[in-house]
Order: sequence, then C-alpha cells, then structure tokens
Amino acid sequence: MDLGKVGALRSHWTTPADSLSDENCLDRLRNYWKALGVSDSNLALALSEQTLRRLPEIPENEDSKTAHAIIAAGELLDDWLATALELPRPSPELTAARAALLSGVTPDWPTALFAPPGAAGTALERLRAAIAKPAPAPSPSAMPTQRIALFSLLGLLRRWWPTSINA
Amino acid sequence: MAQFPRPSVVGHTVRRFVFFLLVILTSLIALGLLVSVFQPNGFSPMELLLLFLYMILFAWICISFWTAFMGFWVILFGRDRWAISRQPPDIPPDSATSPPRTAILMPIYNEDSERVFAGLRAIHQSLMDTGQLDGFDFFILSDTRDPEVWVEEELRWQDMVWSLDGKERIFYRNRPENTSRKSGNLEDFCTRWGGRYRYMIVLDADSVMQGQTLVEMVRLMERHPRVALIQTPPVPVNRESLFARILQFASSLYGRMFTAGLNYWQLGESNYWGHNAIIRIQPFLDHCGLPKLPGHEPFGGEILSHDFVEAALLRRAGWEVWLAYDLEGSYEEIPPTLIDYAKRDRRWCQGNLQHLRLAFAQGFNLLSRLHFLMGVMSYAASPLWLLFLIATGVEAFIQTQQELVYFFGENWMPVWPVSFAVEMTTVLLVTLTMLFLPKLLALLLLLKEKRLRRAYGGMFKASLSVTLETVFSVLTAPVLMLFQTKFVLAILMRRAVGWPPQQRGDHQTGFVEAVLTHGGHTLIGVAAGTLSYLYVPAFFWWFTPVLLGLGLSIPVSMLSSSIALGRQARRMGLFLTPEETDPPKVLQDLDEYLQEDEPVLPVLRKTASSRFLQALTDPYVNTLHRSLLPESESPSKRRRHYLEGLIHQLEEEGPDSLSSMQKRELIANPETLLRLHALFWSQPPLNNDGMLLENRRAG
Repeated sequence: MDLGKVGALRSHWTTPADSLSDENCLDRLRNYWKALGVSDSNLALALSEQTLRRLPEIPENEDSKTAHAIIAAGELLDDWLATALELPRPSPELTAARAALLSGVTPDWPTALFAPPGAAGTALERLRAAIAKPAPAPSPSAMPTQRIALFSLLGLLRRWWPTSINA
Repeated sequence: MAQFPRPSVVGHTVRRFVFFLLVILTSLIALGLLVSVFQPNGFSPMELLLLFLYMILFAWICISFWTAFMGFWVILFGRDRWAISRQPPDIPPDSATSPPRTAILMPIYNEDSERVFAGLRAIHQSLMDTGQLDGFDFFILSDTRDPEVWVEEELRWQDMVWSLDGKERIFYRNRPENTSRKSGNLEDFCTRWGGRYRYMIVLDADSVMQGQTLVEMVRLMERHPRVALIQTPPVPVNRESLFARILQFASSLYGRMFTAGLNYWQLGESNYWGHNAIIRIQPFLDHCGLPKLPGHEPFGGEILSHDFVEAALLRRAGWEVWLAYDLEGSYEEIPPTLIDYAKRDRRWCQGNLQHLRLAFAQGFNLLSRLHFLMGVMSYAASPLWLLFLIATGVEAFIQTQQELVYFFGENWMPVWPVSFAVEMTTVLLVTLTMLFLPKLLALLLLLKEKRLRRAYGGMFKASLSVTLETVFSVLTAPVLMLFQTKFVLAILMRRAVGWPPQQRGDHQTGFVEAVLTHGGHTLIGVAAGTLSYLYVPAFFWWFTPVLLGLGLSIPVSMLSSSIALGRQARRMGLFLTPEETDPPKVLQDLDEYLQEDEPVLPVLRKTASSRFLQALTDPYVNTLHRSLLPESESPSKRRRHYLEGLIHQLEEEGPDSLSSMQKRELIANPETLLRLHALFWSQPPLNNDGMLLENRRAG
C-alpha cells in the first residue's frame, strides 16, 4: 500500500493540519476510519490527520468540529473513489460506489484504493461490479387520466330535454 | 383502441345466452314457487319485502351455481375450445420482432421483508430453471412508510442482487409519497420505466409464481396481440392454521371449477383481480390512468379497488381480458385467522361498494357492469341476507298471531286452510341445492383423475374434508355476515377505511381478542335465539344453524386459528391440497429460503434491534440508504427548521420519542441522515451501534 497516496491525490489536501492538537477529535476520526474498514492503525491515523487537513474545505454547520470532521472523512473517501472509478462527483453513482465499498465486497479496500496505478485492477473491478443500480435508465411514457362519466339523472334529463322539445 | 379487434364470435354469444337463460329461468321458477305461497291471501308489505330480497339473493346464488356447473361441465369433458390457452395464434410469429421484455412487479407496503424477498428469490430461481430469465426484470416497488421495514427492504434487496448476481435485473425503489396507493405505485412504474417493457406481471406481496407459468403467460400474450390482460387463478398455499387450511382446501378443490365456469361465460370480457396477472403495458398506459371520482370518501375520491376498473377501461377501449383458468403454478397466501380474514374484507369492502357508482357510468361493456355489480354484491349480500332473516322471523311471528277461521259467510262446511308445506320445502331444497351442490360436483370431478384424487388424500379423506368444510362454512357464514353488514353500514355512514398492512404470517387468536371481536356476535346469537324460541318456536329450529354459528363464534374463531390443529388435521390427511401433498419446486424453494435465511450481506447476518438506528449509525447502511434516496430539491427553510427540531428531539429524548412518520422524515432527507451519522460518530465510542441514542433516552 502506498501511504503517500493518501495525501497525494489532491495537492490542496497537503495543507498543515492545524487542529491535530484536538486529541479527542483525532480519536473519533480514527475510530470512524476503523468502522469504515481500515484495520491498519497507522493508516487509520494517517487518514484521520489527512481528514483534519481537509476540514477547512467542508462548509461548516452548527454541529461540533468532530461531527464536521466525520463528514469530511466521507468526502475524502468520495474523492478517492471518484478518482479511482472515474465517477462524477457529487453523483448518486458515487454514493452507490461508497456503499459498495463499505458493504464488505472488497475487505481490503484501503489496499486497492491506495495501490500504485495499475496494481488494484481486480479489486476495483470487484468494486465496480458491486455498485448497486436501484433502477434502470428511465423510459418515460404518458399515462393520461381517463374520463369516466358517472350516471347522473340530471345529465340524462339534459340529454333527453332538447330532443323531446324538438319532437 | 385495440390494434386487432376480433369480430364477435357466435359461439361466445351462444355460451352467454345459455348461461343467462339458465340463471333467469331458475330464478323465476324459485320466485314463482314463493309467490304461489304468498299469493292466495294477497301480499302483505312484509311478504313483498321478502319476495324482493329473495329475488336478489337467489339470483346471486344462481349466478354462482351455474358458473360452478359450467365449470364442472368444462372440466368433466375437457373440451373448452375457447380457453385462451387453446386458441390458435391470431398472427403468425414474427421472427423480425425483438423478443419481449417483461417486468415482474412486486408492489409492497410495510410487509414482512424476509417473506417478500424469499418469495422473489423462489420465483427468480424458478425462472432461471426455465432458461428464460434473460427476458425478465424484477422490480420491488415499495410504498413502505415504516422506517424499520424500509431499511430492511433495502438491505434485503442488496443481498438479493449480490447472491443472485442480479445487477441490472433486480431493482428497488421506495416512493417518497404513496399517492393513490397501489394503483399509483403501478402508475409510477409505468410512467417511469414502462417504455422499456412490453409486458408487466403484477404480483402481490405474498404471490409466488412458477417460472414456467410466467413464460407461458408471455407466450400467450405474444400469440394474441388483441389481448391486454391475462389473469391466472392464484391458489392459496402455505398457511398452517386450521382456518387457513380449510380455506386453502376449499379454494383449491372448488376454485378450479369456479374459474373454469367463469371463463365459460366471461371469455374475453373477464376481470382483473389485481395480481398474478400479465398486462400489456402500452394499452394499460393509454387507457388505465385512473381518475378521482367526484365527491368525498367513501364513495368519491381515489378509486380503491382499481383492478376491476382497469379491466373495464381496457374492455371499453376494445382490448380483451382473459382468465387463463387452466394455467397452474400461480399461488398466493391467505389470512391465517377468521379475524384477519374479516379485516381484509374491511379493506376490500369500501373499494367494492364504490363500484356501485361505476356500474352505471357511461361507456362500459355490459359484462364490465356485471363485474362491478358482482363486486358490490359480494359484500351487499350480507346485509341483505340479514334483512331477509329478520323479515322471515317477523313474518313467522305474524303468522303465529293469526287465528285460523274455518267458516266463512254462508258456508256450513269448514274451509280447511291450504298447506303450502310442499312449496316451501321445495323453495328451501332448491336454495340449499344451489348452495351445496357445487361442493359435491367438485368432489365428483376427483373421480375423473387418479392423480388429483391422491393429491387430495384419496376419495374418502376428500369427502370427509368436504363434509367438515361444509360444517365449518355453515358455522362461520353468520359471523362473516355480521362482520360484512357492519362494514357496509360503516361505509354507508361515511366512515372511510385506512390502508392498514395485512398481518399475513401464521398466528393464533387469543381469548381476549376473540371475546372483544366476537362478544357482540355471541350476544346477538343468544338474544335472537331466546326471542325466536319464546315467540316463534317453530322458526327457532330452522334458525339453529345461524344461531349456532353466532353462539359458538368465540371458540370457533380461537380453535380455527390453531396451528397445532391445522397440523394435526394435515397428519390425519384432512383438507389436503395438491400443493401440500406434492409441493411444486417453487414452493419448496420458498420454504427453504425462509427456513435457512442465510444472507450474503454481512450486516444482515447480525441481528439488529433497530434498522432505523442502523441507518443512522452504521456507515454501510447509512450510505446504502442515502444512495437509494431519490434526488430531490433542497428542502425549504421551514422544512429545514422542522427537521432540525427532529434531530434535537432524537438527541435529547431518544428514538422512542419519535413517531414512525417522524423517523421516516429524518432518514428520507440525505443531509439530515448524514448529519445524524456524523453526530453519532462524534460522540464517545460505544460497543454496540445505536446504544448511544438508546442510552440517552434512558438517561
């Protein structure tokens, strides 16, 4: 696995992590990366630090910094996935790809995602194959609302009335 | 209009003429007998009412009887040249035309996901065995509102795609709004993806169909381009309670005769029962967009029992609708207890009564109007029977109060009252014959085929089962009559029904539930019995079958819901059906999938206390759920505030403080879902996913 690739995919991620002092945040992030399937502690730590560097790019909300960082971790993962699988971002396909990644179909996904170019072919193919497609491409058709003329005594009289007058 | 309208066939007209002639003649003869009883002393208002009610009810019985008889005739001689499966193709097969693509649709609403997906897998496997899987796609069209079930469905779908290599063949979507219920669900499919497919096969959540049957349905549609819909008769299977097994036996044994009889006179103007049917999509798109009926519920608003109306609209446009009664391999499951059966009736009743307005609408075919009226009568018959019984009791009481006068005017010889016992007994016997003879005819048909005879447990066991089923139906009929009368009255009083999901799995009726449900029936039975015994003792004895049914409703309901008794009856060879004696592979597969629920997806192998919490906490479930949410516009400011409030409520008071709908709203919004996920993981770690939120509530 090329650990350097973790931070090398996008140049702006190399900004110094000014929040590394926040140990709690780093701990939570490391746990989160583990929950995402990163079993290597060193890699989890490296990814957490990378996440914190990425943090300033994510639009802030009123939640805590750690919650904000968790969202940033997902964004980071999406960036790598988008690059590796050449998917537009943001897109439903990318979210589906992340789901496939986390499903367990490629247990060694960090190896595959951070492998040198050309070295992760099989794993990426497996991942591509596992991306769920919930619906086929649309093929829209019109379904006009039908008219049902219910029986009406008044309507019947209306129809009958002019005829009887003419008669 | 249909592309290949068929000129009217003389044979079709003759069949219908014969059928309706028999119905009308039999009804008139029975009515004549009753008139001859009442006429000598003139007609009292009560007698006129009795005649009117008898005329309607007897005609209703007659239609049923002659349908069964025609079915008996057709099966006995096996020569139904106009069955859709036996007709030559309308056009020669065109090799240039691309092979049809068919969508298998399963609309679901808060159903048991394990059962739904096990059923689909069994169908999938069965289709694969035919080697023609490539022509079919599967759609799980979810209208589920319960967030727990929603997430479970998504995981089950993903698991099915993985384990069956079903990418690009097995699809899932959950509608954000379940507008127009099931018909809206299907309309949504048709307008989004209808252009991709020539046919759709509509299933119910508990439907199971053999692959060979699905292939045959498509083949029939290809051979007959003037046909827009072919309905197969679904045979009830898989239930184990005594109640359900008796019903399964009755539907299986008598059902094939009735469906053959229905096809005898309905032919290409048959009906649609809402599932286990194949539909040509283009005419469905062109002609089956359902309008809302003017006025308010229960008679106005959305059309509830959409299937009858869709069939009528297709017929109005010149397309044919057939019942392929001889296509086997079409199954469904029925409610396991008498109470569940009644609850299902409650849902169907409003839809069917709504058809009363449509029966007289302009433009529909005569048979479509008859279908509507038959749908209405299947529920309206109950209050009419009740009224008839009450009127009979009152009339009997009036008769007992009259003193006989033997000497009139100048006559010195006594004028003896004329006895009409013969006529009355004949009327009664004819009515009973009409009701019970079809059961005997169905039994007789077993003599024709050794294979079937064995499948029903042999002639002796089958006869015994028919006898016991008859006793059971006599006991339950008065209870169902009171249930349906109550439903009809509630609807007439404009109390709309909701759309509660069905409880489909086997379960037993407890004492409290039975007393609460049937206590009123028992009291009515006791009161009616006491009154009739005291004031019209002669009538009491005639009335005993009804009184027994009502008086014993609590124990009958409880005992018949028993799974142990159902299994015991099976061990004794009672109420056996061919599907129990020799289960087809598709049903064996379903059973196997349910017994050995071994998902491929790791997250499904672990038991989760709440799928809703898992969607918030588990990174995979959270992402999968977000990936399946439809793209939508960013919520309004007001909406964002509302969701914000729910997030705070969840954080402070725990998940149990939220209603099911609120939970759904939280996980239906991708941003909220992501925020909650981040909030969870930003908290101190816990061993068990979801414990954090649950603990907070406890605190």
